[in-house]
Amino acid sequence: MTEIDLLNRIKNNPDDFSELFKLYYKPIFGYILRRTGNFDDTADIASDTFIKAFRHINNFSYKGISVKVWLYRIATNEVNMYFRHKQKHNSVFEKADFENKSLFNNFLHDDKRELEMELQKHDQFLQVLNGLKTLPIKYQEVISLRYFEGKDNREIVEILNINEGTLKSLLSRGLEKLRKKCNQI
Amino acid sequence: MEMENFEEKLTQMTKPEVTNLKHQDMLANAITKAKDKSVNSWWWLSIPLYLIVTLLMKTIFMPQTTLRLNIHDFTSREIYSSILFFIVLPILFIVINFISIRNIYFLSGSQKSISFLRASWFNVLMIIFSILILIIYSL
Repeated sequence: MTEIDLLNRIKNNPDDFSELFKLYYKPIFGYILRRTGNFDDTADIASDTFIKAFRHINNFSYKGISVKVWLYRIATNEVNMYFRHKQKHNSVFEKADFENKSLFNNFLHDDKRELEMELQKHDQFLQVLNGLKTLPIKYQEVISLRYFEGKDNREIVEILNINEGTLKSLLSRGLEKLRKKCNQI
Repeated sequence: MEMENFEEKLTQMTKPEVTNLKHQDMLANAITKAKDKSVNSWWWLSIPLYLIVTLLMKTIFMPQTTLRLNIHDFTSREIYSSILFFIVLPILFIVINFISIRNIYFLSGSQKSISFLRASWFNVLMIIFSILILIIYSL
């Protein structure tokens, strides 16, 4: 099934949004985790990202960018807002209507334990991430997309909606700043 | 550390991976079952619009009256309702819709203007109607 088919299905039946969720929740969650390095914030930001996508899926017109790029774009905006304002997210997990809330909390707790262990295994990554977090957001987003997510120039340009020249200059200046930060550590 | 080595280090270092998320299905279910609780509905604005249209009709079919006179008459009879429908509601709608447009802007990540307009046309229309009601009322 193509993305256009899926979008049409969601427009006709919002329940089909769960298909999109299955496809992209994990990669988006991973992207946010590799930017924040914190499970609780990641869970809140990822759920906010998908709630926004769900509310605005009918406004998304399939012209030029894919749903995946659109989701990365929303997630990037959400993470940036989190870094800019250190905004306390009103956790959807407290408000949402779960059929079995205690089971959901258990699942969330298991995921937290597992991912915190996973984070601890990557000591070098955490050191670089701590250095990266001290840089301005414009450098954080390009470096994270390029070196943590492995995106190429075309994908990053689409996600951030910037031109390639700007991207190259941000990457080169950002890398230099990050290198200096990491050498200080 | 040299720049090339540093780039290589960033590329080759291991990163945390998300392989399994137990809470995923239940969250997907909760989100898709959530109903839209938006208050931004035509119904709210339809009340002052209906009143304006009624007063306009009265003006048209009763040539000895004017719209200004009819609004004044209505205001003196229904002081609280007129404040609510002709001032409070339109101002509230202007604020709500401005916030909504701001959210769409954030969400779209500075999309091209046509896509942005396509996503926010309803909010723009609501603002225009609200301003129109305020203008007509202040005549």
